[in-house]
Amino acid sequence: MAAANTQPVAASRAVEARKRRQREEELLVWPDLVFIEFISAVLFTVLTVALAVLVDAILLDRANPAVTPNPSKAPWYFLNLQELLLHMHPALAGVIVPTVALIALGAIPYWDNTAEGQGEWLSTPRAWLNTYVGAGVGSVGTLLLILFDDAQHAKIWEKLTGTDWPIPALRNLRAIQNEIPWPKSWLKVPLGDKVLRTDLLGLPKISLNINIPGLIVEQIIPLSTMVGLPILLSIVAWKTKIAQTKRDHMILQFSGFIAVYVTLTIIGTYVRGEGLALVPYTIFAGDH
Amino acid sequence: MAATESPERRSMGDRVYDAIFTNRLWRSIFRSGYPNTPRNQMLAVATNVFLHLHPTRIHRTHVKITHTFCLGGLSFFLFLGLTISGVLLMFYYVPSVERAYEDILALETDVRFGQLMRNMHRWMAHGMVLTVLMHMMRVFYTGAYKPPREFNWVVGVVLLVLTLLLSFTGYLLPWDQLALWAITVGTNMVGSAPLLGEPNRFVLVGGFQVGQAALIRFYTLHVIGLPLMAAVFMTVHFWRIRRDGGLARPL
Ligand code: HEM
Repeated sequence: MAAANTQPVAASRAVEARKRRQREEELLVWPDLVFIEFISAVLFTVLTVALAVLVDAILLDRANPAVTPNPSKAPWYFLNLQELLLHMHPALAGVIVPTVALIALGAIPYWDNTAEGQGEWLSTPRAWLNTYVGAGVGSVGTLLLILFDDAQHAKIWEKLTGTDWPIPALRNLRAIQNEIPWPKSWLKVPLGDKVLRTDLLGLPKISLNINIPGLIVEQIIPLSTMVGLPILLSIVAWKTKIAQTKRDHMILQFSGFIAVYVTLTIIGTYVRGEGLALVPYTIFAGDH
Repeated sequence: MAATESPERRSMGDRVYDAIFTNRLWRSIFRSGYPNTPRNQMLAVATNVFLHLHPTRIHRTHVKITHTFCLGGLSFFLFLGLTISGVLLMFYYVPSVERAYEDILALETDVRFGQLMRNMHRWMAHGMVLTVLMHMMRVFYTGAYKPPREFNWVVGVVLLVLTLLLSFTGYLLPWDQLALWAITVGTNMVGSAPLLGEPNRFVLVGGFQVGQAALIRFYTLHVIGLPLMAAVFMTVHFWRIRRDGGLARPL
Protein backbone atom coordinates (compact mmCIF):
# COMPACT_ATOMS: atom_id res chain seq x y z
CA MET A 1 0.00 0.00 0.00
CA ALA A 2 2.70 2.41 1.03
CA ALA A 3 4.71 1.85 -2.15
CA ALA A 4 1.63 2.23 -4.28
CA ASN A 5 0.92 5.53 -2.59
CA THR A 6 4.27 7.25 -3.00
CA GLN A 7 4.25 7.39 -6.75
CA PRO A 8 1.00 9.34 -7.16
CA VAL A 9 2.14 11.64 -4.39
CA ALA A 10 5.42 12.36 -6.16
CA ALA A 11 3.57 12.89 -9.42
CA SER A 12 1.06 15.22 -7.89
CA ARG A 13 3.92 17.14 -6.26
CA ALA A 14 5.43 17.62 -9.68
CA VAL A 15 2.09 18.77 -11.03
CA GLU A 16 1.74 21.15 -8.15
CA ALA A 17 5.24 22.50 -8.68
CA ARG A 18 4.42 23.10 -12.34
CA LYS A 19 1.18 24.82 -11.38
CA ARG A 20 3.04 27.00 -8.90
CA ARG A 21 5.63 27.90 -11.51
CA GLN A 22 2.86 28.79 -13.94
CA ARG A 23 1.17 30.93 -11.32
CA GLU A 24 4.41 32.78 -10.74
CA GLU A 25 4.68 33.57 -14.41
CA GLU A 26 1.20 35.05 -14.41
CA LEU A 27 0.14 38.59 -13.76
CA LEU A 28 -3.16 39.96 -12.61
CA VAL A 29 -5.29 41.48 -15.34
CA TRP A 30 -6.12 44.33 -13.01
CA PRO A 31 -3.90 46.34 -12.96
CA ASP A 32 -1.31 45.06 -15.46
CA LEU A 33 -3.45 44.55 -18.57
CA VAL A 34 -6.26 47.00 -17.81
CA PHE A 35 -3.62 49.70 -17.41
CA ILE A 36 -2.11 49.03 -20.85
CA GLU A 37 -5.55 48.92 -22.44
CA PHE A 38 -6.50 52.19 -20.81
CA ILE A 39 -3.30 53.94 -21.89
CA SER A 40 -3.54 52.74 -25.49
CA ALA A 41 -7.23 53.71 -25.67
CA VAL A 42 -6.33 57.23 -24.50
CA LEU A 43 -3.35 57.40 -26.85
CA PHE A 44 -5.36 56.34 -29.88
CA THR A 45 -8.26 58.62 -29.02
CA VAL A 46 -5.83 61.52 -28.97
CA LEU A 47 -4.23 60.35 -32.22
CA THR A 48 -7.53 60.02 -34.11
CA VAL A 49 -8.78 63.39 -32.85
CA ALA A 50 -5.48 64.98 -33.90
CA LEU A 51 -5.64 63.35 -37.33
CA ALA A 52 -9.28 64.40 -37.74
CA VAL A 53 -8.44 67.98 -36.82
CA LEU A 54 -5.51 68.13 -39.22
CA VAL A 55 -6.75 66.23 -42.27
CA ASP A 56 -10.25 66.53 -43.70
CA ALA A 57 -12.04 63.55 -45.23
CA ILE A 58 -12.31 63.87 -49.00
CA LEU A 59 -15.58 64.95 -50.65
CA LEU A 60 -15.72 65.35 -54.43
CA ASP A 61 -18.54 66.77 -56.57
CA ARG A 62 -22.07 65.50 -56.20
CA ALA A 63 -22.58 62.02 -57.67
CA ASN A 64 -23.39 62.21 -61.37
CA PRO A 65 -24.15 59.00 -63.27
CA ALA A 66 -23.61 60.86 -66.56
CA VAL A 67 -19.98 61.77 -65.85
CA THR A 68 -17.57 58.87 -65.50
CA PRO A 69 -14.34 60.02 -63.85
CA ASN A 70 -11.16 58.82 -65.47
CA PRO A 71 -9.82 56.76 -63.81
CA SER A 72 -12.70 55.27 -61.80
CA LYS A 73 -11.38 53.37 -58.85
CA ALA A 74 -12.78 51.04 -56.22
CA PRO A 75 -11.92 51.73 -52.53
CA TRP A 76 -8.20 51.25 -51.89
CA TYR A 77 -8.51 47.81 -50.23
CA PHE A 78 -10.14 46.48 -53.43
CA LEU A 79 -7.63 48.07 -55.82
CA ASN A 80 -5.64 44.83 -55.75
CA LEU A 81 -8.62 43.09 -57.34
CA GLN A 82 -9.13 45.97 -59.76
CA GLU A 83 -5.48 45.59 -60.76
CA LEU A 84 -6.01 41.87 -61.40
CA LEU A 85 -9.00 42.82 -63.55
CA LEU A 86 -6.64 44.45 -66.05
CA HIS A 87 -4.83 41.19 -66.68
CA MET A 88 -7.50 38.49 -66.81
CA HIS A 89 -11.14 37.59 -67.22
CA PRO A 90 -13.32 39.67 -64.87
CA ALA A 91 -14.98 36.61 -63.36
CA LEU A 92 -11.58 35.28 -62.42
CA ALA A 93 -10.24 38.53 -60.97
CA GLY A 94 -13.40 39.87 -59.38
CA VAL A 95 -14.96 36.79 -57.89
CA ILE A 96 -13.09 33.51 -58.21
CA VAL A 97 -9.68 34.71 -56.99
CA PRO A 98 -10.99 36.52 -53.87
CA THR A 99 -13.31 33.62 -53.00
CA VAL A 100 -10.59 31.03 -53.33
CA ALA A 101 -8.13 33.27 -51.48
CA LEU A 102 -10.49 33.67 -48.52
CA ILE A 103 -11.20 29.95 -48.36
CA ALA A 104 -7.48 29.20 -48.53
CA LEU A 105 -6.84 31.76 -45.79
CA GLY A 106 -9.45 30.14 -43.56
CA ALA A 107 -7.96 26.72 -44.27
CA ILE A 108 -4.45 27.63 -43.06
CA PRO A 109 -4.82 26.08 -39.57
CA TYR A 110 -6.23 22.89 -41.06
CA TRP A 111 -3.19 22.45 -43.29
CA ASP A 112 -0.58 23.47 -40.77
CA ASN A 113 -1.93 21.80 -37.66
CA THR A 114 1.44 21.17 -36.03
CA ALA A 115 2.31 22.86 -32.76
CA GLU A 116 5.59 24.06 -34.25
CA GLY A 117 6.35 27.73 -33.66
CA GLN A 118 3.19 28.35 -31.66
CA GLY A 119 2.79 31.41 -29.48
CA GLU A 120 6.04 33.20 -30.29
CA TRP A 121 7.08 35.55 -33.06
CA LEU A 122 8.74 33.65 -35.92
CA SER A 123 10.40 31.29 -33.50
CA THR A 124 11.20 28.30 -35.74
CA PRO A 125 14.71 27.98 -37.22
CA ARG A 126 13.95 29.03 -40.82
CA ALA A 127 11.00 31.36 -40.07
CA TRP A 128 12.67 34.65 -41.01
CA LEU A 129 14.35 33.15 -44.05
CA ASN A 130 11.01 31.96 -45.41
CA THR A 131 9.42 35.33 -44.66
CA TYR A 132 12.10 37.10 -46.69
CA VAL A 133 12.03 34.64 -49.57
CA GLY A 134 8.22 34.60 -49.76
CA ALA A 135 7.90 38.38 -49.53
CA GLY A 136 10.74 38.94 -52.01
CA VAL A 137 9.47 36.51 -54.63
CA GLY A 138 5.88 37.69 -54.18
CA SER A 139 6.59 41.40 -54.63
CA VAL A 140 9.25 41.16 -57.34
CA GLY A 141 7.31 38.48 -59.21
CA THR A 142 4.12 40.55 -59.20
CA LEU A 143 6.02 43.60 -60.37
CA LEU A 144 7.64 41.68 -63.24
CA LEU A 145 4.34 40.16 -64.37
CA ILE A 146 2.67 43.59 -64.40
CA LEU A 147 5.58 45.12 -66.31
CA PHE A 148 5.41 42.29 -68.84
CA ASP A 149 1.70 42.78 -69.40
CA ASP A 150 2.38 46.48 -69.85
CA ALA A 151 4.88 45.58 -72.64
CA GLN A 152 7.68 47.32 -70.74
CA HIS A 153 10.29 44.85 -72.01
CA ALA A 154 9.28 45.61 -75.60
CA LYS A 155 9.23 49.36 -75.00
CA ILE A 156 12.68 49.29 -73.41
CA TRP A 157 13.98 47.18 -76.31
CA GLU A 158 12.59 49.65 -78.80
CA LYS A 159 14.10 52.60 -76.99
CA LEU A 160 17.52 50.97 -76.73
CA THR A 161 17.84 49.46 -80.19
CA GLY A 162 15.61 51.77 -82.18
CA THR A 163 14.00 48.75 -83.87
CA ASP A 164 10.67 47.04 -83.34
CA TRP A 165 10.35 44.37 -80.68
CA PRO A 166 11.16 41.18 -82.63
CA ILE A 167 8.57 38.82 -81.12
CA PRO A 168 5.18 40.54 -81.55
CA ALA A 169 3.33 37.61 -79.95
CA LEU A 170 5.25 38.18 -76.71
CA ARG A 171 4.60 41.89 -76.46
CA ASN A 172 2.12 41.35 -73.66
CA LEU A 173 -0.51 38.83 -72.65
CA ARG A 174 -3.17 40.01 -75.09
CA ALA A 175 -0.69 39.80 -77.99
CA ILE A 176 -0.74 36.02 -77.67
CA GLN A 177 -4.36 36.20 -78.77
CA ASN A 178 -3.94 38.92 -81.41
CA GLU A 179 -0.54 38.29 -82.98
CA ILE A 180 -0.56 34.55 -83.44
CA PRO A 181 -2.32 33.29 -86.60
CA TRP A 182 -4.77 31.00 -84.81
CA PRO A 183 -6.84 28.69 -87.04
CA LYS A 184 -10.14 30.40 -87.86
CA SER A 185 -12.12 27.48 -86.51
CA TRP A 186 -10.62 28.02 -83.03
CA LEU A 187 -12.09 31.46 -82.69
CA LYS A 188 -15.64 30.19 -82.44
CA VAL A 189 -16.02 26.62 -81.27
CA PRO A 190 -19.75 25.93 -81.14
CA LEU A 191 -19.83 23.95 -77.93
CA GLY A 192 -23.59 24.36 -77.62
CA ASP A 193 -24.33 23.08 -81.13
CA LYS A 194 -21.82 20.26 -81.30
CA VAL A 195 -21.06 18.96 -77.82
CA LEU A 196 -23.66 19.94 -75.25
CA ARG A 197 -26.61 18.70 -77.28
CA THR A 198 -29.31 19.69 -74.80
CA ASP A 199 -31.78 19.66 -77.69
CA LEU A 200 -31.49 15.87 -77.77
CA LEU A 201 -32.90 15.82 -74.23
CA GLY A 202 -35.78 17.97 -75.33
CA LEU A 203 -34.31 21.04 -73.58
CA PRO A 204 -33.66 24.43 -75.17
CA LYS A 205 -30.42 24.70 -77.14
CA ILE A 206 -27.47 26.39 -75.42
CA SER A 207 -25.69 28.87 -77.63
CA LEU A 208 -22.25 28.53 -76.13
CA ASN A 209 -19.36 29.48 -78.39
CA ILE A 210 -15.82 29.26 -77.12
CA ASN A 211 -13.01 31.49 -78.36
CA ILE A 212 -10.00 29.31 -77.65
CA PRO A 213 -7.24 31.95 -77.94
CA GLY A 214 -9.36 34.25 -75.75
CA LEU A 215 -9.84 31.46 -73.24
CA ILE A 216 -6.10 30.81 -73.17
CA VAL A 217 -5.21 34.47 -72.65
CA GLU A 218 -7.93 35.46 -70.21
CA GLN A 219 -8.25 32.33 -68.13
CA ILE A 220 -5.80 29.51 -68.69
CA ILE A 221 -2.57 31.51 -68.56
CA PRO A 222 -3.55 33.72 -65.58
CA LEU A 223 -4.95 30.75 -63.69
CA SER A 224 -1.91 28.57 -64.23
CA THR A 225 0.34 31.50 -63.30
CA MET A 226 -1.49 32.13 -60.03
CA VAL A 227 -1.60 28.45 -59.10
CA GLY A 228 1.65 27.32 -60.71
CA LEU A 229 4.10 29.91 -59.45
CA PRO A 230 3.31 29.43 -55.74
CA ILE A 231 3.58 25.65 -56.17
CA LEU A 232 6.86 26.09 -58.03
CA LEU A 233 8.11 28.35 -55.24
CA SER A 234 7.32 25.73 -52.62
CA ILE A 235 9.00 22.97 -54.67
CA VAL A 236 12.15 25.01 -55.17
CA ALA A 237 12.23 26.00 -51.49
CA TRP A 238 11.77 22.36 -50.53
CA LYS A 239 14.55 21.11 -52.83
CA THR A 240 16.95 23.83 -51.63
CA LYS A 241 16.03 23.04 -48.00
CA ILE A 242 14.83 26.60 -47.40
CA ALA A 243 11.43 25.24 -46.41
CA GLN A 244 11.46 21.88 -44.65
CA THR A 245 8.44 21.73 -42.37
CA LYS A 246 4.75 22.52 -42.83
CA ARG A 247 5.20 25.72 -40.86
CA ASP A 248 8.08 26.72 -43.18
CA HIS A 249 5.91 26.29 -46.27
CA MET A 250 3.04 28.10 -44.59
CA ILE A 251 5.24 31.10 -43.76
CA LEU A 252 6.65 31.06 -47.28
CA GLN A 253 3.21 31.04 -48.92
CA PHE A 254 1.55 33.47 -46.50
CA SER A 255 4.40 35.97 -46.83
CA GLY A 256 4.20 35.61 -50.60
CA PHE A 257 0.45 36.21 -50.51
CA ILE A 258 0.77 39.32 -48.33
CA ALA A 259 3.52 40.67 -50.59
CA VAL A 260 1.41 40.12 -53.72
CA TYR A 261 -1.59 41.73 -52.02
CA VAL A 262 0.41 44.77 -50.92
CA THR A 263 2.19 45.17 -54.27
CA LEU A 264 -1.07 45.00 -56.23
CA THR A 265 -2.68 47.49 -53.84
CA ILE A 266 0.18 49.98 -54.11
CA ILE A 267 0.30 49.76 -57.90
CA GLY A 268 -3.50 50.01 -58.17
CA THR A 269 -3.51 53.02 -55.87
CA TYR A 270 -0.51 55.09 -56.92
CA VAL A 271 0.57 53.93 -60.37
CA ARG A 272 -2.69 53.60 -62.27
CA GLY A 273 -3.76 56.91 -63.79
CA GLU A 274 -5.92 57.98 -66.66
CA GLY A 275 -7.29 55.04 -68.64
CA LEU A 276 -5.69 52.91 -65.91
CA ALA A 277 -2.34 53.32 -67.66
CA LEU A 278 0.81 52.71 -65.64
CA VAL A 279 1.56 56.32 -64.57
CA PRO A 280 1.93 58.01 -61.18
CA TYR A 281 -1.43 59.02 -59.70
CA THR A 282 -3.02 60.41 -56.58
CA ILE A 283 -6.66 61.01 -55.93
CA PHE A 284 -5.84 64.64 -55.16
CA ALA A 285 -4.23 65.18 -58.58
CA GLY A 286 -7.26 66.24 -60.63
CA ASP A 287 -9.18 69.49 -60.51
CA HIS A 288 -11.08 68.63 -57.32
CA MET B 1 -18.67 43.26 3.10
CA ALA B 2 -18.46 39.62 2.08
CA ALA B 3 -16.47 40.17 -1.08
CA THR B 4 -13.89 42.60 0.22
CA GLU B 5 -10.58 42.38 1.93
CA SER B 6 -8.46 45.13 3.46
CA PRO B 7 -4.67 45.35 3.16
CA GLU B 8 -2.82 45.12 6.44
CA ARG B 9 -1.55 48.67 6.46
CA ARG B 10 -4.18 51.05 5.23
CA SER B 11 -2.81 53.88 3.19
CA MET B 12 -4.22 57.35 2.79
CA GLY B 13 -5.80 56.29 -0.50
CA ASP B 14 -7.58 53.38 1.14
CA ARG B 15 -9.03 55.62 3.81
CA VAL B 16 -10.23 58.21 1.33
CA TYR B 17 -11.69 55.44 -0.82
CA ASP B 18 -13.50 53.93 2.15
CA ALA B 19 -14.84 57.29 3.22
CA ILE B 20 -16.24 58.03 -0.21
CA PHE B 21 -17.25 54.66 -1.52
CA THR B 22 -18.24 52.52 1.42
CA ASN B 23 -21.89 53.26 1.15
CA ARG B 24 -24.88 51.32 -0.02
CA LEU B 25 -25.24 53.04 -3.38
CA TRP B 26 -21.67 52.34 -4.45
CA ARG B 27 -21.75 48.82 -3.06
CA SER B 28 -24.91 48.12 -5.01
CA ILE B 29 -22.99 48.89 -8.23
CA PHE B 30 -19.51 47.51 -7.54
CA ARG B 31 -19.36 44.36 -5.48
CA SER B 32 -15.64 44.36 -4.81
CA GLY B 33 -13.60 46.71 -2.67
CA TYR B 34 -10.85 49.02 -3.85
CA PRO B 35 -8.59 46.87 -6.08
CA ASN B 36 -5.42 47.10 -4.05
CA THR B 37 -5.15 43.49 -2.89
CA PRO B 38 -4.82 40.50 -5.22
CA ARG B 39 -8.21 39.23 -4.15
CA ASN B 40 -9.98 42.51 -4.82
CA GLN B 41 -8.10 42.95 -8.08
CA MET B 42 -9.36 39.62 -9.29
CA LEU B 43 -12.86 40.39 -8.08
CA ALA B 44 -12.77 43.73 -9.88
CA VAL B 45 -12.29 41.86 -13.13
CA ALA B 46 -14.51 38.89 -12.40
CA THR B 47 -17.52 40.83 -11.14
CA ASN B 48 -17.62 43.41 -13.89
CA VAL B 49 -19.36 42.36 -17.08
CA PHE B 50 -17.06 44.39 -19.35
CA LEU B 51 -13.79 43.53 -17.65
CA HIS B 52 -14.99 39.96 -17.50
CA LEU B 53 -14.08 39.62 -21.18
CA HIS B 54 -10.66 39.03 -19.64
CA PRO B 55 -9.50 36.20 -17.43
CA THR B 56 -8.39 37.35 -13.97
CA ARG B 57 -4.80 36.30 -14.57
CA ILE B 58 -2.73 36.34 -17.70
CA HIS B 59 0.69 35.09 -18.68
CA ARG B 60 3.61 37.50 -18.39
CA THR B 61 4.60 37.36 -22.05
CA HIS B 62 1.12 38.38 -23.20
CA VAL B 63 1.17 41.81 -21.60
CA LYS B 64 4.34 42.63 -23.50
CA ILE B 65 3.31 45.18 -26.14
CA THR B 66 5.46 43.46 -28.75
CA HIS B 67 3.55 40.20 -28.45
CA THR B 68 0.26 41.52 -29.87
CA PHE B 69 1.06 45.17 -30.61
CA CYS B 70 -2.48 45.59 -29.21
CA LEU B 71 -3.77 45.08 -32.74
CA GLY B 72 -6.84 42.98 -31.94
CA GLY B 73 -7.69 45.30 -29.08
CA LEU B 74 -7.20 48.31 -31.35
CA SER B 75 -9.52 46.83 -33.97
CA PHE B 76 -12.15 46.46 -31.27
CA PHE B 77 -11.47 49.95 -29.96
CA LEU B 78 -11.89 51.39 -33.47
CA PHE B 79 -15.10 49.41 -33.90
CA LEU B 80 -16.48 51.01 -30.74
CA GLY B 81 -15.30 54.47 -31.82
CA LEU B 82 -16.91 53.98 -35.23
CA THR B 83 -20.18 52.99 -33.58
CA ILE B 84 -20.22 56.14 -31.47
CA SER B 85 -19.21 58.57 -34.22
CA GLY B 86 -21.51 56.73 -36.64
CA VAL B 87 -24.54 57.20 -34.40
CA LEU B 88 -23.76 60.91 -34.22
CA LEU B 89 -23.50 61.09 -38.02
CA MET B 90 -26.89 59.38 -38.32
CA PHE B 91 -28.50 62.37 -36.60
CA TYR B 92 -27.73 64.51 -39.64
CA TYR B 93 -27.76 62.16 -42.59
CA VAL B 94 -30.74 61.11 -44.71
CA PRO B 95 -30.05 58.28 -47.18
CA SER B 96 -31.79 59.72 -50.22
CA VAL B 97 -30.14 60.69 -53.48
CA GLU B 98 -31.72 64.15 -53.21
CA ARG B 99 -30.42 64.84 -49.73
CA ALA B 100 -27.38 62.69 -48.94
CA TYR B 101 -24.74 64.90 -50.56
CA GLU B 102 -26.33 68.11 -49.24
CA ASP B 103 -26.46 66.58 -45.75
CA ILE B 104 -22.75 65.87 -45.85
CA LEU B 105 -22.05 69.41 -47.06
CA ALA B 106 -24.24 70.81 -44.29
CA LEU B 107 -22.51 68.55 -41.79
CA GLU B 108 -19.19 70.06 -42.81
CA THR B 109 -20.29 73.69 -42.75
CA ASP B 110 -23.36 74.13 -40.52
CA VAL B 111 -23.00 71.53 -37.79
CA ARG B 112 -20.72 72.28 -34.87
CA PHE B 113 -17.94 69.66 -34.85
CA GLY B 114 -19.67 68.06 -37.85
CA GLN B 115 -16.55 68.03 -39.98
CA LEU B 116 -14.55 66.65 -37.06
CA MET B 117 -17.10 63.89 -36.56
CA ARG B 118 -17.04 62.94 -40.22
CA ASN B 119 -13.24 63.01 -40.30
CA MET B 120 -12.97 60.81 -37.23
CA HIS B 121 -15.41 58.30 -38.64
CA ARG B 122 -13.55 58.19 -41.95
CA TRP B 123 -10.06 57.86 -40.49
CA MET B 124 -11.11 55.27 -37.96
CA ALA B 125 -12.73 53.26 -40.76
CA HIS B 126 -9.51 53.25 -42.80
CA GLY B 127 -7.59 52.55 -39.61
CA MET B 128 -9.73 49.54 -38.76
CA VAL B 129 -9.13 47.89 -42.13
CA LEU B 130 -5.41 48.34 -41.52
CA THR B 131 -5.38 47.13 -37.91
CA VAL B 132 -7.48 44.07 -38.75
CA LEU B 133 -5.12 43.11 -41.58
CA MET B 134 -2.08 43.66 -39.34
CA HIS B 135 -3.75 41.73 -36.50
CA MET B 136 -4.19 38.82 -38.89
CA MET B 137 -0.50 39.01 -39.74
CA ARG B 138 0.54 39.11 -36.09
CA VAL B 139 -1.64 36.06 -35.36
CA PHE B 140 -0.09 34.25 -38.32
CA TYR B 141 3.53 35.05 -37.52
CA THR B 142 3.15 34.14 -33.85
CA GLY B 143 1.71 30.80 -34.93
CA ALA B 144 -1.42 31.51 -32.89
CA TYR B 145 -3.80 29.91 -35.41
CA LYS B 146 -2.70 26.39 -34.56
CA PRO B 147 -4.91 23.88 -32.75
CA PRO B 148 -6.96 24.40 -30.63
CA ARG B 149 -7.41 27.87 -32.14
CA GLU B 150 -8.23 26.83 -35.74
CA PHE B 151 -11.85 27.79 -35.48
CA ASN B 152 -11.11 31.19 -33.99
CA TRP B 153 -8.90 31.90 -36.99
CA VAL B 154 -11.89 31.10 -39.23
CA VAL B 155 -14.06 33.43 -37.12
CA GLY B 156 -11.31 36.00 -37.68
CA VAL B 157 -11.49 35.58 -41.45
CA VAL B 158 -15.25 36.20 -41.26
CA LEU B 159 -14.54 39.34 -39.22
CA LEU B 160 -12.07 40.48 -41.88
CA VAL B 161 -14.73 40.10 -44.57
CA LEU B 162 -17.29 41.93 -42.41
CA THR B 163 -14.82 44.76 -41.81
CA LEU B 164 -14.22 45.17 -45.55
CA LEU B 165 -17.97 45.07 -46.26
CA LEU B 166 -18.66 47.64 -43.54
CA SER B 167 -16.11 49.94 -45.09
CA PHE B 168 -17.36 49.30 -48.62
CA THR B 169 -21.02 49.99 -47.78
CA GLY B 170 -20.03 53.18 -45.97
CA TYR B 171 -18.10 54.36 -49.01
CA LEU B 172 -21.29 55.01 -50.99
CA LEU B 173 -23.08 57.09 -48.39
CA PRO B 174 -21.57 60.59 -49.04
CA TRP B 175 -23.02 60.30 -52.56
CA ASP B 176 -20.19 62.13 -54.29
CA GLN B 177 -18.41 61.14 -57.49
CA LEU B 178 -15.84 59.11 -55.55
CA ALA B 179 -18.60 57.14 -53.80
CA LEU B 180 -20.78 56.50 -56.83
CA TRP B 181 -18.02 55.29 -59.11
CA ALA B 182 -16.11 53.28 -56.56
CA ILE B 183 -19.28 51.36 -55.76
CA THR B 184 -20.06 51.03 -59.47
CA VAL B 185 -16.63 49.53 -60.13
CA GLY B 186 -16.92 47.30 -57.06
CA THR B 187 -20.39 45.98 -57.76
CA ASN B 188 -19.53 45.39 -61.42
CA MET B 189 -16.86 42.99 -60.17
CA VAL B 190 -19.61 41.01 -58.41
CA GLY B 191 -21.61 41.08 -61.65
CA SER B 192 -18.84 39.35 -63.55
CA ALA B 193 -19.13 36.10 -61.60
CA PRO B 194 -20.12 33.08 -63.67
CA LEU B 195 -23.84 32.20 -63.66
CA LEU B 196 -25.06 33.97 -60.51
CA GLY B 197 -22.98 37.12 -60.85
CA GLU B 198 -25.47 39.35 -62.62
CA PRO B 199 -28.47 38.33 -60.44
CA ASN B 200 -26.32 38.91 -57.34
CA ARG B 201 -25.23 42.32 -58.54
CA PHE B 202 -28.84 43.20 -59.25
CA VAL B 203 -29.92 42.26 -55.72
CA LEU B 204 -27.02 44.17 -54.18
CA VAL B 205 -27.60 47.34 -56.18
CA GLY B 206 -31.37 46.98 -56.41
CA GLY B 207 -31.41 47.85 -60.10
CA PHE B 208 -29.32 48.15 -63.20
CA GLN B 209 -27.23 51.01 -61.90
CA VAL B 210 -26.22 52.46 -58.57
CA GLY B 211 -29.08 54.76 -57.50
CA GLN B 212 -31.62 55.28 -54.74
CA ALA B 213 -32.25 51.56 -54.28
CA ALA B 214 -28.54 50.91 -53.85
CA LEU B 215 -28.15 53.82 -51.44
CA ILE B 216 -30.86 52.62 -49.07
CA ARG B 217 -29.57 49.02 -49.23
CA PHE B 218 -26.01 50.04 -48.48
CA TYR B 219 -27.18 52.39 -45.73
CA THR B 220 -29.26 49.72 -43.99
CA LEU B 221 -26.46 47.19 -44.22
CA HIS B 222 -23.94 49.76 -43.05
CA VAL B 223 -25.75 51.06 -39.98
CA ILE B 224 -27.48 47.95 -38.71
CA GLY B 225 -27.05 44.68 -40.63
CA LEU B 226 -23.28 44.41 -40.80
CA PRO B 227 -22.52 45.99 -37.39
CA LEU B 228 -24.85 43.48 -35.74
CA MET B 229 -23.18 40.61 -37.53
CA ALA B 230 -19.75 41.95 -36.62
CA ALA B 231 -20.82 42.28 -32.98
CA VAL B 232 -22.03 38.67 -32.94
CA PHE B 233 -18.83 37.36 -34.49
CA MET B 234 -16.69 39.48 -32.15
CA THR B 235 -18.56 38.02 -29.19
CA VAL B 236 -17.76 34.55 -30.47
CA HIS B 237 -14.15 35.59 -31.18
CA PHE B 238 -13.56 36.87 -27.63
CA TRP B 239 -15.39 33.98 -26.04
CA ARG B 240 -13.30 31.51 -28.00
CA ILE B 241 -10.03 33.19 -27.00
CA ARG B 242 -10.88 32.40 -23.37
CA ARG B 243 -12.28 28.92 -24.09
CA ASP B 244 -9.15 28.05 -26.07
CA GLY B 245 -7.08 28.81 -22.99
CA GLY B 246 -6.15 32.44 -23.53
CA LEU B 247 -3.59 33.56 -26.05
CA ALA B 248 -1.36 30.93 -27.61
CA ARG B 249 1.91 30.05 -25.88
CA PRO B 250 4.85 27.88 -26.83
CA LEU B 251 4.33 24.31 -25.70
C1 HEM C 1 -12.90 42.97 -36.37
C2 HEM C 1 -11.87 42.24 -36.38
C3 HEM C 1 -11.14 41.61 -35.19
C4 HEM C 1 -11.15 41.95 -33.86
C5 HEM C 1 -11.89 43.10 -33.17
C6 HEM C 1 -10.27 41.00 -33.19
C7 HEM C 1 -9.97 41.03 -31.83
C8 HEM C 1 -9.05 40.20 -31.21
C9 HEM C 1 -8.48 40.41 -29.90
C10 HEM C 1 -8.80 41.60 -28.97
C11 HEM C 1 -7.63 39.38 -29.65
C12 HEM C 1 -6.73 39.23 -28.40
C13 HEM C 1 -5.26 39.32 -28.71
C14 HEM C 1 -4.79 40.42 -29.59
O1 HEM C 1 -5.17 41.58 -29.37
O2 HEM C 1 -4.05 40.13 -30.54
C15 HEM C 1 -7.68 38.49 -30.79
C16 HEM C 1 -7.00 37.30 -30.92
C17 HEM C 1 -7.07 36.46 -32.02
N1 HEM C 1 -7.55 36.80 -33.26
FE1 HEM C 1 -8.68 38.44 -33.67
N2 HEM C 1 -9.78 40.10 -34.11
C18 HEM C 1 -10.27 40.45 -35.35
C19 HEM C 1 -9.99 39.84 -36.55
C20 HEM C 1 -9.23 38.68 -36.68
C21 HEM C 1 -8.76 38.13 -37.93
C22 HEM C 1 -8.98 38.76 -39.31
C23 HEM C 1 -8.11 36.96 -37.61
C24 HEM C 1 -7.43 35.96 -38.53
C25 HEM C 1 -7.74 35.70 -39.72
C26 HEM C 1 -8.16 36.80 -36.18
C27 HEM C 1 -7.65 35.70 -35.47
C28 HEM C 1 -7.38 35.72 -34.11
C29 HEM C 1 -6.79 34.62 -33.37
C30 HEM C 1 -6.46 33.22 -33.92
C31 HEM C 1 -6.60 35.09 -32.05
C32 HEM C 1 -5.94 34.32 -30.90
C33 HEM C 1 -4.51 34.78 -30.86
C34 HEM C 1 -3.67 34.12 -29.81
O3 HEM C 1 -4.08 33.10 -29.23
O4 HEM C 1 -2.54 34.62 -29.59
N3 HEM C 1 -8.83 37.87 -35.64
N4 HEM C 1 -8.55 39.02 -31.73
